[in-house]
Amino acid sequence: MTTTESPRKEASSVSSNDESSRGTLARVLTSQEFWTRAAAPVALAVAFVAFSIAAPNFFTAVNINGMLADAAIPILLAVGMTFAVMLAGIDLSQASTLAFASVLFGIAYGAGWGLLLSFLVAVAVGVGVGVLNGFFVGIVRIPDMISTLGTMGLMMGLSLIISRGIPEPVSDPVLRTIASDSLGPFRWNFLIVLMIVIVLHVLLTHTPLGTHLLAVGDSMDASKAMGLRVSRIKIIGYVIAGLMAGLAAVALILYVGSTQPAANTDYVLKAVAATVLGGTSLFGGRATVWGPALGALLLTVLQTGMIMIGVEAFYEQAVIGIVVLAAATLMRGRK
Amino acid sequence: MTGTTDLKLEVTDVTKSFGNVTALRGATLSARAGEVTAIIGDNGAGKSTLIKCVSGYHAPDGGEIKVSGKPVHFGSPLDARHHGIETVYQDLALADQLSVWQNIYLNRELTAGPWPFRVTRRGAMRAKARELVGDLAVNVPEVTKTVMRLSGGQRQAVAISRAVMWSNEFVIMDEPTAALGLRETQQVEALIRRIVERGTSVLIISHNFEQVMRLSDQVWVMRGGRVVNGHRTAEVTGADLVAEVTGAAAEHF
Repeated sequence: MTTTESPRKEASSVSSNDESSRGTLARVLTSQEFWTRAAAPVALAVAFVAFSIAAPNFFTAVNINGMLADAAIPILLAVGMTFAVMLAGIDLSQASTLAFASVLFGIAYGAGWGLLLSFLVAVAVGVGVGVLNGFFVGIVRIPDMISTLGTMGLMMGLSLIISRGIPEPVSDPVLRTIASDSLGPFRWNFLIVLMIVIVLHVLLTHTPLGTHLLAVGDSMDASKAMGLRVSRIKIIGYVIAGLMAGLAAVALILYVGSTQPAANTDYVLKAVAATVLGGTSLFGGRATVWGPALGALLLTVLQTGMIMIGVEAFYEQAVIGIVVLAAATLMRGRK
Repeated sequence: MTGTTDLKLEVTDVTKSFGNVTALRGATLSARAGEVTAIIGDNGAGKSTLIKCVSGYHAPDGGEIKVSGKPVHFGSPLDARHHGIETVYQDLALADQLSVWQNIYLNRELTAGPWPFRVTRRGAMRAKARELVGDLAVNVPEVTKTVMRLSGGQRQAVAISRAVMWSNEFVIMDEPTAALGLRETQQVEALIRRIVERGTSVLIISHNFEQVMRLSDQVWVMRGGRVVNGHRTAEVTGADLVAEVTGAAAEHF
């Protein structure tokens, strides 16, 4: 009896174990939770391999460093955007904040204020717009789309009025060094951006403020009941988004060598795309910093790779649009 | 036993209106230390408004609230919390996408280091939350899980554990089992008994007469914005309470 039964039992238990482990793997691979975290790194790896095969010059130190440096501005904007999106908001004003900050940086620099003060002017513009956005969203309680659309128009107009739409060249030895010199294999601007990403990552995951931002994005009622100052926390989130736009203005100036009074609204599309790709919940309450940073890197890799395999630059916008829709569909999540 | 020193909470003639709507027309009740005090009443009787006044969510228009014999005026839930009053709201006030331990410590995080380099002590918070949840909310599997992955009873247990973590004096619960099935209701009731054994006073709002009979030492009946009657639970039957809540006492008894 026992001898005939035991092998069958073993066999059946082995096969069921096998099945359940395969089931677990399948469940992980089809789970939304897995893909919200893994979408950006997996897509980045796939894009890297695909372009390396398709374009001979893609997988070279020069090109990789170039792409990392190109990604500096998108990464700054994406991680900034993430702090608005994790509050269940959005910051449409980033691109025009960037433009206005670059114009005022150019004026300050041109007036002989020096690099540091000009830099602080750009930072102050970013923080100022962030406070304005946070004020309208958190205290006046205008929906985030409308608040930041309003500041977007305001900043776009101000930068055109002040600059008459004319870019000012800014040539500074320090900025040139940051733009083109390297420390080890990496260019300075990428390294600086990497440091900013690390700081924001620590802020989000290892400070009370980080938890409070996610809590407010998750549930205003719960946050209020726990005594969080919801308006203040919202303002802080938008200030971080604005600050990143201010820093991106400096990154743009050292990248192109002049101010840029006309807002390039591509930046907002890219930042939102990277934020979504990075697994940030559009309903708020769930976010990482590294996810959107990788998302922004992915978009830069796509852009460069497509150019290198001979796709017309005109396709870029459409591709990013498709990526946004696909990523948002994949991670539409629940709330 | 019944001296004023034993009274954890005294509410005297509290009134509250919202615009034209009068929610409380002078409510008076008390809760003894170390007991479960229940408030029952129909929808609109003023139960929630009353406990929101006690928990600092609403400021009463008139009347007096005393905690441990001292008059208090709460401007916010934080004020009430500073007086050792924690509230478990009916919606639980949990952030779904945060973990159990993050919710337990929300806005009371343990930190280390000087500002602005103050960082959260994640390991310490996890360990303490695990200890607390292990003692009290035995039905909650793991404190690192996000709250959205928990069942209704587990979520309730997390919210109650959080309240007890921060106050072993006085915990208010608004309909703690309204959304739960039978088994989970039993688990939450067992949890409430455990925290009372640890010396915490509990004020509970419930629609469930049987639960009130099972859990409470004292029961207050509210109707039309007033506390119309109070009993030692042992001296009253469920049928009496039903009659008082509906206002049918005069006709039927």
